[in-house]
Amino acid sequence: MEILLQLLFSGIALGMIYAVIAFGYQLTFATSGTLNFGQGEALMLGALVGLSLVSTIHGGPYLNFWLMIPVVMVFGALQGAVVEWIGVRPAIKAKSEFGWIMSTIALAIIFKNVAENIWGKDDLTFPSPVSATPFHVFGANVQLMQVLVVIGAIAMMLAVELFNRKSIYGKAVVATSNDPDAAGLMGINTGMVITFSYALSSATAAFAGVLVAPLTLTGATMGTSLGLKAFAVAIIGGLTSGMGAVVGGLILGISETLTGFYVSTGYKEVPGLVLLLLVLAIKPAGLFGKAAIKKV
Amino acid sequence: MKFHLKSLVMATAAALSFAAMAADSIKIGLSGPFTGGSSPMGVSMRDGVKLAVSEVNAAGGVLGRKFELVERDDEAKNERGVQIAQELINKEKVVATVGFINTGVSLASQRFYQEAKIPVMNNVSTGTIVTKQFLPPEFADNYIFRTSANDTVQSAMIVDEVMKRKYTKVAILADSTNYGQLGREDLERTLATKGIKAVAVEKYNIKDVDMTPQLLKSKQAGAEVVITYGIGPELAQIANGMEKLGWKVPMLGSWTLSMGNFIDNAGKNGDGARMPQTFIQDGNTPKRKAFIEAYLKAYKPANDRISSPVSAAQGYDSVYILAAAIKQAGTTDGPKVREALEGLKEKIDGVVASYDKPFTHDDHEAIKMGMPVMGQVENGRVVRAK
Repeated sequence: MEILLQLLFSGIALGMIYAVIAFGYQLTFATSGTLNFGQGEALMLGALVGLSLVSTIHGGPYLNFWLMIPVVMVFGALQGAVVEWIGVRPAIKAKSEFGWIMSTIALAIIFKNVAENIWGKDDLTFPSPVSATPFHVFGANVQLMQVLVVIGAIAMMLAVELFNRKSIYGKAVVATSNDPDAAGLMGINTGMVITFSYALSSATAAFAGVLVAPLTLTGATMGTSLGLKAFAVAIIGGLTSGMGAVVGGLILGISETLTGFYVSTGYKEVPGLVLLLLVLAIKPAGLFGKAAIKKV
Repeated sequence: MKFHLKSLVMATAAALSFAAMAADSIKIGLSGPFTGGSSPMGVSMRDGVKLAVSEVNAAGGVLGRKFELVERDDEAKNERGVQIAQELINKEKVVATVGFINTGVSLASQRFYQEAKIPVMNNVSTGTIVTKQFLPPEFADNYIFRTSANDTVQSAMIVDEVMKRKYTKVAILADSTNYGQLGREDLERTLATKGIKAVAVEKYNIKDVDMTPQLLKSKQAGAEVVITYGIGPELAQIANGMEKLGWKVPMLGSWTLSMGNFIDNAGKNGDGARMPQTFIQDGNTPKRKAFIEAYLKAYKPANDRISSPVSAAQGYDSVYILAAAIKQAGTTDGPKVREALEGLKEKIDGVVASYDKPFTHDDHEAIKMGMPVMGQVENGRVVRAK
């Protein structure tokens, strides 16, 4: 029983990391129908910029962990806006169906190379803002940082949902995602809304980066595999549903730890990916996604 | 006229010496990962090799010619290693190649050297099979040599430690690379000879961020010690993962537990980890002391800590053994150098050990059983285990 609980806790912490990144994919998909394939790199840049601010590697520490978070999020927002401006806007303007795929991947590779040159290719330790000593919950061990990851991820997603539903700017975002042409005619600057969604998406990724960094190691390559798994989560949960990202993330995270323990650590990623294939075959819009009807 | 003559002489001399430099240097290939998770080993090895080469050259070189290194970063990738091997052999026309950190890269690249009859000095990679790819009767001669402690030697030492400390329940955690899996096989085989069967044998991937299932299985099985076969960053994840679970048993493993990126990333969780070492940075002989001082002076590693002393020392020794063989062969011809390596007359006083006939035709391992010692991580450094 304790074992199962321990596996569930670890799986939830892992799954929430996937969920936040998957959430970032959804934000841009909602407004523009495009995805930022550099989501993992946005996370990596956020973590590394955060590391430079709180540790001694670049002459710091300049800020403590909590004050660093808003700075990193502003950085993430700027980085996302740049991605949209260079990689996505030209593709949307040219009505190119796939141009943005290549350009966001190209930008991701560039960001990774830049990071390798600034921070080196080695993995670095991110100082944990809270004690790493675990405490006991029903006999299972949990680290405070793991709890923070889960809380932070949920808070982030709630904040974005609230913003979309309650504020006038959020309503512009929702309107754009429902019908960009009509929104444009209503006087909403849809181009601006799309840029904003990219900024928001990268800001959440950067936030996720500094959240997970104390639990993992920080380095230029940390985003690649996380970004890919989060993409699988976004597909499983559905690209249009925030709930889907959370559920998808938890499914993938928990299935990894459970399979690793009860079946074999060699197969731990298989069930999640089999589920991905099943979802694509049976319900391509994702478990919680709304099927898009494309009128021709 | 006088002026003309003088300048003519000078120009000729300059041209001659330039030609002599260009035509007469002995080109040695150097292949290793200088970036990525294996880079502490690659960079230390490279610097050890460079140090030895500069000393050999300062002493007049070999056969009156200087060594010239051709360095390439194989990024620990098998396919990169193959490209580099072909480039070094066909384009750079190297006389021999030293290096290789990763067993997989060694195994993928060596075929080209074997075919070209060019000796290879593996100075870090440890997979038992590395020197055994090209054995008679299929291949008359083997061009692959090694100056590091292979996995058979290491697993024997690890198992000795298990016996000495009277552990009966051991868990093995190995990564999914050639290195980890070949090492795991060696370990399981050696454990079996002592009648021990590991209670848990687990696998993980490079870049895995969560080791909970592997560690929980080991804990559940009642393991008294975790034996590891992997590289620095993931080994740190294992040490930190134990803290996450609030479960603490000793870590014991292959020599990679001495890597700087394990020690730094594991911090206090890495203290007490034990591993076989061919070289420890403590200068207990004058020769070793001089080597450490020269290395620190030339490359200035952070906190005066060589990030992988073993790699640096083995790299350093590999150059001296090669130099002695070329001297004895009197030529840079591959087959002659191989013969000289297999019957080396000069006794070489290295920093890892004194080599008296390190290789024979059938034994290409310079490091024999009994040469390495056990090291232990203590306050961010590797010291001799007591």
